Amino acid sequence: MTDQFTKGSAAGWRPSILHALFVSSCLLTCRPVAALDYQVHGYGAQGFVLSDGNNVFGDSSHGSVNYYEAGINGSVQLRPDLMFAAQAAIRDAGITDNGVPRLDYALADYRFLSLINSNAGLRIGQVKNTIGFYNETRDVIFTRPSILLPSAYGENQGTRSLLFAAPGAQLYTSTVLGDHELSLVGTYSRNRGLSVSQKQLLISLSGLPFDLRIRDSWNAQIMDSIDGGRWQIAFSRFYARFALKAPVPVTPSSAEDLLGNIDVPINFFSVRYNARKFSITAEYVINTNKDFVTLGGMPYAVTTFSSDSEYLQAEYRLNPAWHLMARIDTNFLDSGDRSGHRYADVTPGTDPASRFSYDFTTGINWQHGDHWGVWAEYHWIYGTSVVQLLDNADRTPDDHWSLFMLMAGYKF
Amino acid sequence: MHPIPGIAMERRRKSRCLRRAMASVLLGIPLSAAAGSVEVLVNPAQAHVSIDRDLLRGIFTMRVREWPGGEPVRVFVLPDDNTISDIFDRESLGTYPYVLRAVWDRMVFTGTGFAPTVVKSEQEMRERVHSTPGAIGYARNDEKSMLQLFLLGATDGFLSGDRHD
Repeated sequence: MTDQFTKGSAAGWRPSILHALFVSSCLLTCRPVAALDYQVHGYGAQGFVLSDGNNVFGDSSHGSVNYYEAGINGSVQLRPDLMFAAQAAIRDAGITDNGVPRLDYALADYRFLSLINSNAGLRIGQVKNTIGFYNETRDVIFTRPSILLPSAYGENQGTRSLLFAAPGAQLYTSTVLGDHELSLVGTYSRNRGLSVSQKQLLISLSGLPFDLRIRDSWNAQIMDSIDGGRWQIAFSRFYARFALKAPVPVTPSSAEDLLGNIDVPINFFSVRYNARKFSITAEYVINTNKDFVTLGGMPYAVTTFSSDSEYLQAEYRLNPAWHLMARIDTNFLDSGDRSGHRYADVTPGTDPASRFSYDFTTGINWQHGDHWGVWAEYHWIYGTSVVQLLDNADRTPDDHWSLFMLMAGYKF
Repeated sequence: MHPIPGIAMERRRKSRCLRRAMASVLLGIPLSAAAGSVEVLVNPAQAHVSIDRDLLRGIFTMRVREWPGGEPVRVFVLPDDNTISDIFDRESLGTYPYVLRAVWDRMVFTGTGFAPTVVKSEQEMRERVHSTPGAIGYARNDEKSMLQLFLLGATDGFLSGDRHD
């Protein structure tokens, strides 16, 4: 599984990225290089998770340190309009991440318009997806409001690895109009297969082997940053079409193909207010799944349903070193059945609370200078829609549960 | 000695700044956030560039990578928790250190831009900005030069209650 994860997430696109970087270098460095600026940065953090009721990121019921993240990156600016950057990262978080080093991003950035109030450029390679407030740097604790991101980001679910980065091309532009800085980032991602570990987090076919590929995947974000970032308002959209193929045994000697498309459009609505001492952040995220699956050419599963997540979060800065955080975060697997009763009625043996989660979180953060930080937070949770079942394979999910998390990090 | 009126006004302004600066030096109290207490420093080669708030914001959010003449911009800042950073960010940029830090971290950890170089002191800031092509930074108004003004100006009586308000 480990090998395939690596293969699926890195080796599959490496030639095209190297090719792109090489071509970019050849095309864009024909002018003499005036200056060579570079920077190297990195981060590392170790977590501790203790939960009561359900496991999160490993065997947390007994206290788990199976949660860490680290990365190192380098950027080289050949000219003000030409930059290359790459980051290697490693993360372990229960079943959702396995501690295998990965190339997080590797890109060439050519800025073809550079004015005082406007700019535009193109990035190619493995690029980070600009979705919501936190997706791009979600694995760097110093950039998150809390150790565990709100449920909208699928931190403990299969959508995580789909969102954070992808091989492709990214166009970006921004312009200043009075107190408004408008920015637009659009990314087109290359069609690609998924690793075994990614597939098992997304779909379960009762142990049957299957192939799952991503096609026509793109994402975009438009943001208005007002008055130096006092207000930030954004809309982001992620879209991917998953192509499913699985041979299903019909008789002992024959099999029919299970074929289908699963459309996943995810819309993020984001708003934040930044004051000197506090910040208020809210995001609403809706994911409208459309499944069209056939078996032997006949419709087998044709469904459409919407899941949504929403949170309201307050951060308070006592001083530059000490910060407090509180958040109410909800998640519903079917926005038309928020209590889960309708689902439980038609699916005997299921718990209605498995269809939603209410998570109230409080946290505290201490930062020492520009490099060190320690975070602690406590979650009171009702509902199990955010529970990763693969981390709880030998237990029945507990509807009322709690989670304590601790993390210490360093960055440079 | 009667100072020239325009010079006298300037001296009175410097006199007030000086008293604040001297009090700060003597008492160890940071300078207040009064307007003009923090100044933008640029490398001498860019001294001709007119810097307004839009350009300053563009530069310190690392969005503007080059000067109008094409020289790469190299940004120097004091640590986030330094009082001078707080004053500069609020008064000159209209934002807060933590908002800027979020912008810089986002660039650094997505490979989309550089972070500014953090220097440890105002003295280092002045030295690095002066010696680095395309550099820009900030610091309090120079206390040393005000001290020199104090010593020189004392003979003119502009610190001895010789007010012309």
